[in-house]
Amino acid sequence: MIYFNNVTKVYDNDAVALEDVNLGIEAGEFVFLVGASGSGKSTMMRLILKELEPSRGNISVNGVKLGAIPRRYVPKHRRNLGCVFQDYKLLPNKTAAENVAYAMEVTGQKRRAVRTKVPQILDLVGLKDKLNAFPGQLSGGEQQRVSIARAFVSQPPILIADEPTGNLDPETSVGIMQLLHRINHIGTTVLVATHDREMVDVMRKRVVALEAGRVVRDKVRGGYANEV
Amino acid sequence: MRSNNWGFFLREAVKNLRLNLLMSVTAITTTAVCVMILGAALLVSAHLQGIIRNVGQDVTITAFFPENASQETIDDTLSSVQGYPEVSESTYVSREEALDRWKETFSDQPDIASSVGSDVLPASIELQLNDPRDSGAVAEKLRSEGFEEGDLNYPQQTIDNLNWFTGYMVWALRVATILFLIASILLISNAIRLSIFARRKEIEVMKLVGASDTFVRTPFVLEGLVQGLIGATLAAVVVVWANSAFVNWAQSYLFSVSSESINAFGLMLTLIAVGVLIGVAGSYFSVRRFLKV
Ligand SMILES: Nc1ncnc2c1ncn2[C@@H]1O[C@H](COP(=O)(O)OP(=O)(O)O)[C@@H](O)[C@H]1O
Ligand SMILES: [Mg+2]
Repeated sequence: MIYFNNVTKVYDNDAVALEDVNLGIEAGEFVFLVGASGSGKSTMMRLILKELEPSRGNISVNGVKLGAIPRRYVPKHRRNLGCVFQDYKLLPNKTAAENVAYAMEVTGQKRRAVRTKVPQILDLVGLKDKLNAFPGQLSGGEQQRVSIARAFVSQPPILIADEPTGNLDPETSVGIMQLLHRINHIGTTVLVATHDREMVDVMRKRVVALEAGRVVRDKVRGGYANEV
Repeated sequence: MRSNNWGFFLREAVKNLRLNLLMSVTAITTTAVCVMILGAALLVSAHLQGIIRNVGQDVTITAFFPENASQETIDDTLSSVQGYPEVSESTYVSREEALDRWKETFSDQPDIASSVGSDVLPASIELQLNDPRDSGAVAEKLRSEGFEEGDLNYPQQTIDNLNWFTGYMVWALRVATILFLIASILLISNAIRLSIFARRKEIEVMKLVGASDTFVRTPFVLEGLVQGLIGATLAAVVVVWANSAFVNWAQSYLFSVSSESINAFGLMLTLIAVGVLIGVAGSYFSVRRFLKV
C-alpha cells in the first residue's frame, strides 16, 4: 500500500530529515510511526501526501509511483488519502458539517449525497449534536473528531495521522485512537505518527521507530521503546 | 468541472464576501475610485473632441465693423460680400439689432441685460457658408476688404486655439489614464492579495484534502468579479451622473458642449467591464501564488 525505497530527504537548508528509509506497509495494516521530535515523522507524512518531493529514492502509494504523478493529478492522489493533523487544520469559517462536506465537494459529489453522508459520519465520530458548531466552539478532542470525519468521509483506502493526539489530554486521546482503530477494522490502512508512549504500548500494533531520520526498529505487535 | 459545483462556488464566494467584509469594502472602494478616475479622463477627452467637432461644423462667420465705419463703407462691403460664391446667405446686424439680441439673450438676467448701451455693441455682418471648410478662404477675403483679424470671428480661429490647447490636454489625459490604470491594477490586486493572504492557511488545508487548483481558485475569482462589478457599477453611475450634470451646467452657460459627445450607456458598460476585468485578473493572479502546496 505504501512503500518507501531508499528515501532520503534533505531540506533546502541542508537539514537531513530522512536518510535511506526503506519501509513497506501492506493493505489493512495499522502502523505506529514513533520517534522523538525532529526524527522525521512529519517529513514522511508530507512525502506521502506529495507535499514534498524526496531528494533521493522513490515512494509508491496505492500502487502509484509518486514521482510519476504530474502536478495537476496531485489533488486526485490526495483524495485517496485521508489525513489528520496535530493542529486539526479545519477551515475556521465553516461549521463541523461544512468542513466534512468540503472534502466531499472537492471530489464533485452530488449535493444529495453530501447531505445524507455528512450527518452519518459525524454521528459515527460522536458529534451528532455539533453539526453546526464552528471549530472555535469545539474542544480540541471534538475538533480532532471532525477532522477524522473529514478524512474518512470519502472512505479512502489509506488514512494517515500526524500526532493526532499531540494536543489532547490522555482520556480524549484514547477516544481518538479507538476511532482510528475502528476505521482500520473496516479495512482502511492506517499510519499514525506519534510520540504518545502509553498509547503505543497499550495498543500492541506494528511499530516503526525513527531516530534522526533512520528507521532503527520495525516490530509487529511492538511497544514504544526497545523491549528485551 | 461539474456543473453542480457552480451553486457551491457561488455560495462560497458570497459567504467569503460577507465574512471578509472589511477587505471586500477596501477592494470595492479601490476599484470604484480607480474606475471613476478612468471615467473622468474618458469624459474630458470625449467632450474636448465633441467641442472641436461642433465648432468645425459651424458655418457662420461674423465680421464686426469698426466703430467709426461710415454707412457708405458698410454698404460697399455688404454688396461685395454678397458676391462671394462660398456664401449662401448674409445678414447685416445693425447696432440696434445687436443690442436687442443682447437683451433677449440675457432676458432672465436683467443686470447683464441693462449693462450695455447701444454704443458698445458694434454692427456686424453674419455670413452663412455652404461648406464650413471654406471659412479660412472667406476670412482671407474679408481681411482684404479691410477687416482686421480681431474683428473676425470664424470657426478656424476657434479650432486653432482649441487644437493648441487640446493637443496637450489629450496627451496629458492619455498618459494620466495609463498611469492610473497601472496604479489601479496594482492597488486592487494588492487589496485582493491582502484578503487572500489572510486566508492562505485555508487554501493550504483545501489543497491537503484534495481540492484542485481550479476548485480552490474559483470562489476567489468569483469574489473578485463581484467586488469589481460592485465597485465599477458604483463608479460608472457616479461618472454618468456627473457627466449629465456637467452637460446641463455647461449648456446653461452657452458652452458648445453636447450631450451627444458621449454614449452614456457605452461608457457605463466600458467602465464596468474594466472593473470586472481588474477584479477577476487581480484575484486569479493573487490566489495563484498560494496554490503551490
Ligand atoms: N520545512 C523545513 N525546512 C527545513 N528543515 C525542516 C523542515 N521541516 C522539518 N525540518 C527538519 O527536518 C527534521 C525532521 O523534522 P520533522 O519531520 O518535522 O520531524 P518530526 O515530525 O518527527 O518532529 C528536523 O530536523 C527539522 O528541523
Ligand atoms: Mg512532526
